[in-house]
This record gives sequence, structure tokens and C-alpha cells, in this order.
Amino acid sequence: MRRVIVLALLIGCMHLIAPLGSGAYGSRALLAFGLLILAAYAAGELADAMHVPKLVGYILAGVAFGPSAMNFVNTSAVADLQPVSSLAIALIAFLAGSELRWSELRERGGVITRILTAELLVTLVAVTLFLVVLRDHVSFLRGTGTVEVVAFSLVFASIAIVHSPAVTIAMLSETRASGPVSRTSLGVVLISDVVVVLMLTAVLALARVLVPPRGADVPALALSAVAWEVGGAVLVGAVIGALVTVYLRFVRRELFLFAIMIAFFGAEVSALLHIEPLLTLITAGFVTENFSLVEHGNALEEAMARAAAPVFVVFFALAGAQVALRELAALWPLVLPLAVVRGGAIWAGCRLGLRWGRVTEAADALRRDLWTALIPQAGVAIGLAAVVARTYPHRGGQIRALFLALVAVNQAVGPVLFRRALDRSGEIPGDAAAMETDHHAASPILQP
Amino acid sequence: MPGHSLYLGTVTAAIALFIAVGAGYLAAHVAFEWLGRRFLVVSGAEYLVLGILLGPHVSGILGASLVTQLDPVLTLAIAWIGLTVGTQFELNRLVATPARDFRIGFSTSVLTFVVVVGLELAAVHLGGITNDLDALIVASGLGVVAVSSSDAGFSLLTNVAGTAGRLFDQLRVSTMLSSLVAITLLALLLCWVHVRTPLSRPLTTTEWAVVSIAIGALGGTLFHAFLGETPERDRLFVALVGGIVMVSGAATYLDLSPLLSSLCFGLVLVNTTSSPQELVATLTRVARPFYFVLLIFAGAAWQPVLPTWILPIALFVVARVAVTVGGARLVARANGTLQEFGDDWGIALIGQGRVALALGLSYLRQGHLPGRDAVFTAAILSVLLTEFLSARAIRSVLVRA
Repeated sequence: MRRVIVLALLIGCMHLIAPLGSGAYGSRALLAFGLLILAAYAAGELADAMHVPKLVGYILAGVAFGPSAMNFVNTSAVADLQPVSSLAIALIAFLAGSELRWSELRERGGVITRILTAELLVTLVAVTLFLVVLRDHVSFLRGTGTVEVVAFSLVFASIAIVHSPAVTIAMLSETRASGPVSRTSLGVVLISDVVVVLMLTAVLALARVLVPPRGADVPALALSAVAWEVGGAVLVGAVIGALVTVYLRFVRRELFLFAIMIAFFGAEVSALLHIEPLLTLITAGFVTENFSLVEHGNALEEAMARAAAPVFVVFFALAGAQVALRELAALWPLVLPLAVVRGGAIWAGCRLGLRWGRVTEAADALRRDLWTALIPQAGVAIGLAAVVARTYPHRGGQIRALFLALVAVNQAVGPVLFRRALDRSGEIPGDAAAMETDHHAASPILQP
Repeated sequence: MPGHSLYLGTVTAAIALFIAVGAGYLAAHVAFEWLGRRFLVVSGAEYLVLGILLGPHVSGILGASLVTQLDPVLTLAIAWIGLTVGTQFELNRLVATPARDFRIGFSTSVLTFVVVVGLELAAVHLGGITNDLDALIVASGLGVVAVSSSDAGFSLLTNVAGTAGRLFDQLRVSTMLSSLVAITLLALLLCWVHVRTPLSRPLTTTEWAVVSIAIGALGGTLFHAFLGETPERDRLFVALVGGIVMVSGAATYLDLSPLLSSLCFGLVLVNTTSSPQELVATLTRVARPFYFVLLIFAGAAWQPVLPTWILPIALFVVARVAVTVGGARLVARANGTLQEFGDDWGIALIGQGRVALALGLSYLRQGHLPGRDAVFTAAILSVLLTEFLSARAIRSVLVRA
């Protein structure tokens, strides 16, 4: 309550000085940014006190102060702060990559692949069927032929299956959880990030054949471009990882600053070379983790985690500021059942995948809780929706609106479910059960 | 596709910037760390040179538009310096310091300001460079920059030799007060020449000064209430960033000095928090990256001055050194400590660093002020010439004393 009063006073002060100033040197954006951080911090602490993940608090603060609600952080301020978001995603991706160990991948790679395959396919089919059945209630399918219905339903489903590595990493970092559910969900989410990009590319290529886009400046999709986007990312990521390893071996100074520079560099190089930025930095993190001496890798991870702590606040608050409340208000009768179908499909897909992978270790906990890690959606998903909107300017816009409304639901509900699952599976330190289920050494990011 | 080329060009510049800054930083860092320990050379000015080399007037890697885009980061870096200065004024430590130390430090700073302003006023006025009022403003700007002394030499010396003693304490107090006096004087100058008053009645200088202080003091008080118990370091850092961004944003929005507002913010915080050490440690942890950013972009923001300004700038460098040393001797004599400190103890105060640079940059960013480039160039030149050797100067004075 005290923090809410202080925030109200700060807002009052902002109004008081508003007529006196010129807004030079980006000071408007600074004011909005400062208010957003403090609001997100306060909301995060409040959420923590209510045993809700802090990042839900950050997101809700972003929603409240963003363009959809109070508009203290307007659309232009959100755009001004995008570089912070990009930096955040890059840091998160590097941290995520450094969580993957080669030995563990070899040991669990087969299981993760099976879970992922089952989960993605079941969700893709379920969401597509849902839209086909309810075609008369979906704006971008209403009054179209069967081929178009199938094509656009598939396109929508291929972005609806996206997960959020950012939420998973932030949640594991916040709770310091470690155990089978945490490790498996991290592996699934990270690999799915690459698979989903490939799937969307394939589905868009198919949709173009079935329903050629009209009137827009739409570049043709080439298989070589997709191959480069993925292969190039692995290659460049490996080079960056090797450079980081050399730095850690011979210099090892100013790691906090170095961590930010690496994230910035990776994001910029990816944009320049048109490669997948997340995959680039995940690979860089993976190479660093697996080719550096343990203490060197740990030191960098710790520096990254330190840099990421404030970045999480900003990233999720900005993600909240982009939540499409208007779309959600208009489309909730469709979005809520859609979210339930997607959640149910993820649950069923995970169980199928676990059975297919013949998982025996902590099987009950995984069957019960793994699916919750795959519910959240955030930044990457919004980017993919923008790709669809560019390809099909008219229907793409409607697809994007429905998708943003779906993201709003999953963004709010997903982290809460995941947190409860981690609690229940006893993987958060302090739980008695953790001692029984956690057979894995906790990594530095999880125990900063 | 012209748009695509433009995008590519921007990104390429960003990567070139990264490579140049990264390579320069590492080279400078590794080389200067060794040099610093071996020869007591303070690191910092080399980044300034790097910024000038990268800037629009030499290589052009850091273009003017990129520097403009990063204005908010620069504001934050300036504010962070003000914040760290503010946290030096912890009441518990201040009351344990002898009044004479404050008297000496304060008098030295004021004397330096008055004499440098007088000399510069004469130089600018006699040179016929600007009119009377503008000459007074430029001279005051140069006087403000002249007051500040660098504390980087003390840090290096303490790390390397662990020095302590009566003179060392005096030098610390003098440096701390020089920052306070300089930051306050600059804020007052900006209040005095404030032009944007879109209200029915223009605000007076006093009212603007009250607003400057109130932003920091009220911000600090509200922030203290907001935080409650001091949280763990990472959470404190997040909240601190939010607080300082708001305070510096508000001051910049009103065309006031973010340095004074953030100083007041730090002063209130350090005296209200239950664990000032935690606060200072949190600030210190990222002070270096911020200073690094400030140095690079300050270098990039530099523009060559007109030849008419060369004489006042040269006079600034010479007069500042002479007045600092002479003034310190005079003040020590007046307070009966000259024998204890030695005749030339003021040499230890000639080093200039982050505060001088932040002051020069703050002056430069006030678009309506006269001689902005001259004041900024004087600050840069003084830092380049004096910061390197500040630790050696302090050591030589301590050895003689």
C-alpha cells in the first residue's frame, strides 16, 4: 500500500512539472521509463508477497501504465525502449544457452525431442481444428472457402504453438528452482524456439501456395534463406561463443560490462546477417558453457544473471505495456476457449511425448507439471505474428489481433501455473521435497 | 531498397562501434591497469581520447545521430556521478570530521571559482568575443569546472599503498567539497539563465533553484518511503535505477542540472537508509561502466572550437592549476596548517576527472548558453592533462608532508 501511495505521489509530481518543461534530450522517455521500473518493482514485490511470480507483477504494471490503460508510457515511449527489450532477449538467450550442457543433451536429447514433437503436433492439430470448427465466429475465416480456412487456421496455429524462453528463464532465475521439471522444461522450450521458426516458415510457404498473398510487397520465401537463418545462427553463435571463451581464458575482466556488450553485439550481428538472434545467442551461450573452464563459465554466467536482473523487470514491464487489452476485450468469447484448447493440447502432447520417450525418472512430476512451463507466451511470439501480418496485410492484421489477445491470456496465466507446478514438484529451494527429487547440481543462474 | 540500405548502414555502424569500443576498451584497460599499478597512472582519459577518435570530427564511426540517440544514457551516466557524489555526504561521517577541514576545503573551492571567473571574464571581455552578459556566463561556466577535483587518484593510491593520515583526510574532504560546490554553482548558473518559462509568470532564479533541490530531495524521500527496509543488492539496484532515472529525467525535462538533483537524491538516501554501505556498494558496482560510457560519448560529443576561444581555454588550464595550488597555500596559512601540509599541498588537488567532465557536458547540453564548446573543451583538456598524474601528485605531496 505504501508503494502504491508513493507511486501516486510520483505521478502527481509528474503532472505538476509537466507544464514547466521542454522534454529535451529524451527526458520524456526517461521519466516514463523510471516510472515504469518503479511501478514494475512495486508490483513484483506485491506479487511475491501473494506467492504469485514477480514477473506477473511486472507484466501487470506494464499493462496498467501502458498505452492500453493509463497511457503514462505511451506508444512512442514503448518504441523508444525497444532496444532495452532486444538487449533483454539477447541476455536471456545467452543465459539459456549456458544452461545447456553437452552431457545432459546427450543423455536427455532423445526424450526432449519426443516430448517436443508430440506436444507441437498435438497443439498444432488441436488449434487448427478448433478454428476450422468455429470458422463462422473467427473474423479472418468468416465467409472464405475451405482451402483458405485450412491455410489461415494452420498459419494461426503455427504461431499459437510458440512458447516463451524468456518466461522460463526468468521464472527459474527468480525461484532458483532445479530438478527434472525445470531442466526438462528448459530443454523443451529452448529447442522449440528453433523448431517453431522452421515450422512457421514451412506453413507460410504452404499457405502462399494455397492462398497467394495479394497487393503487398511480399518477398518470396526461399529455402536457402531459411537454412541460412538457422544454420547461420548456429555458425555465428559458435564463433561468438569461441571468442567469449578466449576472452574468459586470457582477459576475464569487467565481466558485467562484457556480458552486456556480448548481448548487444550478438543482437546487432544477427540483425545485420538476417539470422535468428535467439538461436545465435543460445548457441554462443552453449559453446561458452561447454568449452570454458567451469569457474570461468560460472563467473560470466553470474555477471550475466546480475545484468539480467534489472533487465527482466524492464523486459516484462514492456511486454505488459504491449498487451492488447482492446483486442482482448473484443475477442474474449473466442480467446478464452482457444486458450483452454491450447492448454489442453499442450497437456495431452506432453503426456504422449513422455510415454513415447519412456521416461521413468521423476515421471509422475513430469506428467503432472511439465505442460505448465509451455503455456506462457511473450516477445518472440509477437514478432512471429508481425511476420504473418506482413505476409498477409489484411487477414494477417486480424490474425495478429486474435493472437495478441491469446498472448495476453497466456502471459498472465502461464507464469502462475508454472510457479505452482515448481512449488508442487518441490524444485524450489527450501521445499523439503526438493531434497528428494533434485538429483542435478544447481547451476549458477539458478543459484546466483 | 533504400530503406534496407539505410538499416544496414546503421547496423554496420553499430557493429563497427562495438568492435572499436571493445578493442579500444580492452587495450586501454589491460595496458592502463598495468601502468596504473606500476607507475601510479590514473586510467580514464584514454577513453576520452578514444571517444574523440570515434566521434564525428575524426573517424565518424560514432555519428552525431547515434550520439543523439544515446542522450538518455548520457543523462543517466551524468546523474549516476551526481548520485555517487551525494552518497559521500553521510552525516555520521561528516560530524566526525573536524570543522577546520570543511573550512579549508570550502574556502579553497570558492577562492578557485572567484579567481578563475575573474580572470576568464577579463580574457573573454577584453578579447571582445561576446557581450558582457555572455562573457560573465561563459566565465562562470569555466569557473565552475575549475572548482572540481578528481577523487580517482585517492582510490588508486588507497588500493596500491593503503595510504592514510591527516593530510590524506584533508584532501578527501577538499575533493568532496569541491564536487559539491561545483555542482551547486552549475545548478545555480542554470537556474539564473533559465529561459523556458511557458507559465503566465516566469519563475525566478530562486524558485528554479528550489525546484532543482526539491526534485532530488523529494525524490529521495519518496524513494526511501518506497523502498522501506533496504532490500538485497540486486533488488536495490533495480529500484535505484528506477529512482535515478526518474530524478534525472525530471531535471533534464525542466532544463535544470541532473547533477544537483541526483546529488540531493543520493544525499537523502545515504542518510535515511539503514545500511549505507550496501547502497554505496551497489552504486560503485556499476559506476565504472557508467563512467566509461560518459568518457566515450563525451569524447564523441566534442567539437573543435573557434580560434578566438583558444586563449581563454589555455588561460583556464594554467590559471586553474596556479589558483588551486596558490589558493590552497593561502587557505592553509590562514587556518594555521601550512606547516603541517607543506607549501604545495594544493598540487594534490589539480587532478580533474569524472565530475569535471559531467559539469562540462551538462553545460554543453544547455542549447541556449554561450561558449558551450569552449567550456566543454576546457573541461576535456583539463581532464586529459591532469587526471593521468593525479595519483602521483597526491603521493608526492603526502611524501613531502
